[in-house]
Amino acid sequence: MKIDGKKITTEELAARVSTALQEHGIDALLVGGACVSIYTANQYISGDLDFVSFAAIKEIGLVLRDIGFVQKSSRHFEKRGCPFFIEFVAPPPAIGSEPVKKIRRLKTRAGIIMLLTPTDSVKDRLASYYHWNDRQALEQAIMVARVQRIHFNEVKRWSMKEGYEEKYHKFVVEIGKKGA
Amino acid sequence: MLEGLFGNSTVEKVFFALYAYGEGYPLGMAKLFGVPVNSIQQQLKRLENSGIVSSRLLGKIRLYTFNPRYPFLKELTSLIEKAYEFLPEQEKNAYYRVRTRPRRAGKPR
Repeated sequence: MKIDGKKITTEELAARVSTALQEHGIDALLVGGACVSIYTANQYISGDLDFVSFAAIKEIGLVLRDIGFVQKSSRHFEKRGCPFFIEFVAPPPAIGSEPVKKIRRLKTRAGIIMLLTPTDSVKDRLASYYHWNDRQALEQAIMVARVQRIHFNEVKRWSMKEGYEEKYHKFVVEIGKKGA
Repeated sequence: MLEGLFGNSTVEKVFFALYAYGEGYPLGMAKLFGVPVNSIQQQLKRLENSGIVSSRLLGKIRLYTFNPRYPFLKELTSLIEKAYEFLPEQEKNAYYRVRTRPRRAGKPR
C-alpha cells in the first residue's frame, strides 16, 4: 500500500497505519493530539500520531516498514516527505491512573481507526494540563469539548479523582468564555 | 533492596533519587552515586521508553521526573517509599539528604 506522505491528512494516515497493523493482527489505539485533530476537523493539527499497542515494537516496525515508515528511535517512526511522525507510546492505554475502558471505532474511507472517545480525548488533554500545566493541552481539551458531545460528569468525576478540582473548574470557565 | 525486582542496582538508585529529590539529571546522579554517567543515562532512557519517567530540557540539561501520567505511579512510589524507610541512615545521609535549598551565588560553600 503506497502512501502519499505530502498530501495525507491526520485521519487518513491514522486509518492507513491502523489498517496495515490490523491486517497483521495488531490492534493499536490512537491517543493524544491526533484525536483532537480528528474530532475538531483539523482545527488543531498534531504533527505526531501517538498510538498505544501491546504488540512488540519490533513486530510493529516490520509492518510500518511496508508502508514506508522507518524506525528513528526506540519508539518513533518517520517517512521521508511525510509531515507526521508516528510514535508508539508504552502500554497500557491509560488516562491518569485509570485504564481506557471505551474505545471509539471510526470508519473512514481509508479504514477503521480505533481511538479515544471524545470524552476520553478531553480527559487525555486535561491530564497534560493538570500534570504539566500545559496551556496548549487545555486549549485542545476546550476545542474538543466545544464541537463534540462530552460527558462532563465523567470528566468531573475523573478530575476529582486525579486531585485537580480547581483546574477542572478553570476548564469549565474557559469553555464558557470561548463558547459560541 | 529492590534490585532483584528491578533487575539492577542503578535503576534502584535512580528511583530513590527521584523519590528523594523529585527530579534529577544524569550527570548529577552519576556524581552523586559515583557511577558512570552512561549507566544512569541508559536506565533513564529505558524508564522513559516505558513511560515511567518523563523528561524536559532545561537549558542544556535534560531533567527527569517520575511521569505523573504513568498509570501505576501511586503504587510504584508507595513501594519505593516503603523500601526507602529500610535504607541505612548512613546511606540516606550520603545520597538522599544532600542540600537542595537555594544558596546565593558567590557565597562560600
